[in-house]
Amino acid sequence: MNNPHHLNPTSLKSRFTTRFLRALTKIRAQKPISSSSPTEIFRRYRRIKVAADKSMAYSVRSRRIWSRAMLWKLRSRSYRRQDPCSGRRSGKTNQAIMKKSSNENTTTRREDGVGFVEEADELRQLVPGGETMNLCNLLDETAHYIKCLTTQVQLFSPIGKG
Amino acid sequence: MESNAGTTETRSNVTVPDGGEVAAFESLQFTDEIHRLISAPGTDNASSFTALLELPATQVVELLHSPESVKLIVASAPNVEDFKGSFHFPSNTGLIQKDARFSVFSGEGNNKNEKSNSPEMTSKNSSANLEKAVKSEPAETVSSLPLVSDPTMENRNIKRKDREKKVKGSTKKSKTATNERLEDAEKLPYVHVRARRGQATDSHSLAERARREKINARMKLLQELVPGCNKISGTALVLDEIINHVQSLQRQVEFLSMRLATVNPRIDFNLDSLFTPESGSTMDGGNFPSLVTPLIWPDVQVNGYRKQFQHQWHFDTLKQPIWGREEVCNNYVTLENSLLSCDSSANSATLHANQLKMEL
Repeated sequence: MNNPHHLNPTSLKSRFTTRFLRALTKIRAQKPISSSSPTEIFRRYRRIKVAADKSMAYSVRSRRIWSRAMLWKLRSRSYRRQDPCSGRRSGKTNQAIMKKSSNENTTTRREDGVGFVEEADELRQLVPGGETMNLCNLLDETAHYIKCLTTQVQLFSPIGKG
Repeated sequence: MESNAGTTETRSNVTVPDGGEVAAFESLQFTDEIHRLISAPGTDNASSFTALLELPATQVVELLHSPESVKLIVASAPNVEDFKGSFHFPSNTGLIQKDARFSVFSGEGNNKNEKSNSPEMTSKNSSANLEKAVKSEPAETVSSLPLVSDPTMENRNIKRKDREKKVKGSTKKSKTATNERLEDAEKLPYVHVRARRGQATDSHSLAERARREKINARMKLLQELVPGCNKISGTALVLDEIINHVQSLQRQVEFLSMRLATVNPRIDFNLDSLFTPESGSTMDGGNFPSLVTPLIWPDVQVNGYRKQFQHQWHFDTLKQPIWGREEVCNNYVTLENSLLSCDSSANSATLHANQLKMEL
């Protein structure tokens, strides 16, 4: 008897699952769990977390501002790690760009005529790439980001239960 | 200019925009039209009244600049024959254009025209109730379809009034309205925002109002996404709730990935349980029969680490009872990735990696 919930092969869930599992197996292949000191585990945890973020961002491609920002962050981080010189360069340019945009935002203060400035700023810090969004786009991106996060949680949570 | 507008009623209701370059134009045409209207035997006072109401800048400019289109519209609309007697050209075109756009009302134009005056007084009261902030007028027609004819009439009166108010604004707005009317009903190149009663109609506040409405629509969507937000009133609190939800989701993902890192080396995800978390047993043979593989994991000293992490991680909200329940060795999940098999030699799984990927 087949599972009545047939998977849509192009849905966000399936894309994320495949990517994440691939990344997970790569991580597992690299370091066998036998050597598990807390630092090791922590390092793996970081790698898994990055893998989760990355696979989610890749599943969304560049369709969303937050996914683009996340991919950008990941790439800049990887560049920095690989080659310190190029990393410095790219890091500088990235930082310069981000600083410029954030400066613009802070000076303009994004009043927008609606009174949600503090909450909006908090939300901007939470959602990746949120600093460069006006309130309208921010709400859009938040909705999609929430949807993706809930997908992630749904996929991860049966791990413990088996 | 206002003296040319004719009756006192019209003066009170129709204010030609002062100082606009179109205004001078209108006043000249006003006189012509009004003379024509007054001289012709009117079917109704209402018709001439509404006709005069129709005449503010948009209509007149149209009539001036594109008489042929008006003729076409007149020819196409079925209402021409309804207006017996006088050839109330402007009123016809006004209603006909509206009918051309709102094809739903095409059969009812005559009745609406005659009955238009009486509900107009009441429409002012009911306009507040019936006002809808819509982006495109065809959408509004669709939404008002199930209403009875009277409310639809009132809607039209409201639209007429709103069009007046739009006229009071900048000429740019009036030109956009005329452009819009000349086009097909379905193609509305401009975002239309209803100017409500008593509200400013200059372009800045209209744009702001459009933005605010967009923001409110998105807030509603977010409220539906975030559980428990529907009862909260007040957008600041809703935003706080959303922020909390996003933070909790992020923490959950962190926590679960930490668990992934510590718990076991070979978690094979049961696709079924992934996508339908409520499905109970993973030992169901019917999930992916070719992929079911029993896995016996080597005993991993996970418990010690688990305790450590219990101290380190204090997640009140999240699945702490699962820590205690969890038996690593007895986790039984069906195989999904053949790549995992290279990890352990104790694996007795039969791997159908290609089938896997195809099914995915």
